[in-house]
Amino acid sequence: MTSSHRFDPSISRRGLLGGALGLGATAALAGCGFSGGGAAASGSAATSASLAPAAKAQIDGDLVYFNWADYIEPSIASGFKKEYGVKIIETNYDSYAGMMAKLNSGNQYDFVTPGSKEVAELRAAGMLQRIDKTQLKNADQVFGVSPYFDNPWYDPNSDYSVPFTMYLTGIAYRKDKVTNMTGSWNDMWDEAAKGKIFVLDDADEAIGMSALKLGLDINTTNPDDLSKIQADLLSQKPLLRGYSTDDVNNMAGGNAWIHHMWSGDFLVLVTNTVKDPQNYGFIAPKEGTPFGNDTYAIPANAQHPGTALVFIDYLLRPENIDKQINYLGYPMPTKNGAATFAALSKDYPGTQITVADLTKPNVFKTQTPAGKAARDSMWTTVKAS
Amino acid sequence: MSAPAREAAPAPAPDTPDQPPARRRSASHTRLWGWLLLPPAAWMLIFFVSSIVIVVLLSFGHVGDNLRPVFGSSLDNYRQLWNEVYLTVFVRSIVYALVTVVCCLLIGYPVAYTIALHGGRFKTVLIASLVIPFFASYLIRMYAWSTLLSDEGLVNQLLAKLGVSQGVKFLNTPGAVIAGLTYGFVIFMILPIYASLERMDLSLIEAGKDLYHGPLRTFLSVTLPATRAGMLGGILLVFLPSLGDFVSAQLLGGPGTYMIGNLIQQQFFEGQNAPLGSALTVVLMAALVVFMVFYLRATDREQRET
Repeated sequence: MTSSHRFDPSISRRGLLGGALGLGATAALAGCGFSGGGAAASGSAATSASLAPAAKAQIDGDLVYFNWADYIEPSIASGFKKEYGVKIIETNYDSYAGMMAKLNSGNQYDFVTPGSKEVAELRAAGMLQRIDKTQLKNADQVFGVSPYFDNPWYDPNSDYSVPFTMYLTGIAYRKDKVTNMTGSWNDMWDEAAKGKIFVLDDADEAIGMSALKLGLDINTTNPDDLSKIQADLLSQKPLLRGYSTDDVNNMAGGNAWIHHMWSGDFLVLVTNTVKDPQNYGFIAPKEGTPFGNDTYAIPANAQHPGTALVFIDYLLRPENIDKQINYLGYPMPTKNGAATFAALSKDYPGTQITVADLTKPNVFKTQTPAGKAARDSMWTTVKAS
Repeated sequence: MSAPAREAAPAPAPDTPDQPPARRRSASHTRLWGWLLLPPAAWMLIFFVSSIVIVVLLSFGHVGDNLRPVFGSSLDNYRQLWNEVYLTVFVRSIVYALVTVVCCLLIGYPVAYTIALHGGRFKTVLIASLVIPFFASYLIRMYAWSTLLSDEGLVNQLLAKLGVSQGVKFLNTPGAVIAGLTYGFVIFMILPIYASLERMDLSLIEAGKDLYHGPLRTFLSVTLPATRAGMLGGILLVFLPSLGDFVSAQLLGGPGTYMIGNLIQQQFFEGQNAPLGSALTVVLMAALVVFMVFYLRATDREQRET
């Protein structure tokens, strides 16, 4: 109600501006189509990836960079360009699915930031390069710190990826508008906030929200479970303002009183977007929340893997890790990451994540094509109804 | 834009005396033009036709084990489309596109009329000032609207200060989607109507006034028929992109405003189901072709009548 934060153009890190850019990319992608049989292409990539020696960390060209929009602290990008005299050619995506679609259609990037589930898929398809940790001077910042990330489920021995941020998905709300929060996923069905509720426009997250509410597995592909979830999501639809990943702007613009939201986006909202942070709260619902993590990776078809390695090493410098955590709002599983993040998130316990959380079952996993199709078609039905 | 064309029309008659050399020159000209057309034709073939062919072929395929599209020869994707949910989205998209066309006509015609008949020496400036905003990306402009019109955004703050309202919910409604489409495509209505008004012989209006007296009757029986081709062109240019649009619904729409474009985008990206997305695209293209044929037949009749 007061203040000028309403049309602050700040953008959700994980979320939307990327949305806009991603939308543009859609048009481009729709134009190129998928040439070449996927299976054949992936097969040859797999062989070449496993045979090719891992790259050396030395500059071998400009960095072709593929990430969420605004998902790097700006002085890090400019510092890297200056120190190494290279350009950063940046492309953004607005969802992991969008990222996968572009990688699968053969686009070449040196540096990408897939989530854990995507690393598993890309690794299985032979689309990532092995990362030789002896090439990273700052490897000790992130490896040897937690047993989980030394050998995560999605990438044994972290051979093909370097851990980046960790996140959870919870509920953000306006303390000055909503007074009946119960700390449960049921709050996403709050009649009192009708027309002011947003759900993340993401199949996994929407299904996860409902599954946790109903006491089901967030990775379920069971038809009975899915029909229960579908009915549950449809019962929520009349209360919704929309499905959107632009969580920061929806909250800051006053369109949302309750928003299904990523933890780090919430911290971005309260730490450097709005002028009245005391009016915003975040809960991690008691039924549990989805947890996940991002990674740094180098695609198998990268043209400048050496530069990408240098860049990853640069990102792992302790001072840069601190900058990233404070800018992105997500913790990193590094030596000092927990301390830096604790200082940032001390007023918002709901946003706090530890490495131990990632060992819980609420992590989105890779599904079979049939299982994935069942989940997606259910989600499409919900959105299109 | 049509002014030079009009002046050029009566001019051609320069080198009629020496007919034979002219004919020879025109023959070699034709060959030269043929060669010059080759690169654009090749470009169209490679990037336009081939991608449509891929989409059509892919629409008979399926998603392989590694989540990538595989070509095939099954009608499963089309069968999947034949259900209530998809049909609802198709009908909704057509309704939105039709309402958009009506809005664009109601806005576009008076604007074009005023500029063409009363713009005087400012005509060019006025048209340019309409066109220039459209150089900025459609996405960016939609994004700006969503910020301005949010519940606690600039417009609502202003309304609250003036004591007009306690906050209007502009965004995430069907009205917002149609307004976005109208804003995005209205220029495609204005320009053809403007061109046909420019091309029209203004003495017809004076004759009409003598004949019918009232300005309304003159407008209905002289001006409107004379600009029918422009309107038909505008209707098509607005209707086709509106039907396939997904940006407006994504940025300004709510949970119940899903359009075909969103469905297609969803299948290609989040769903990673390019074959199903291709089938949707083929159906959309087929619908567009039907409307295109209607248009061509209408303009054909128009030309035969005049």
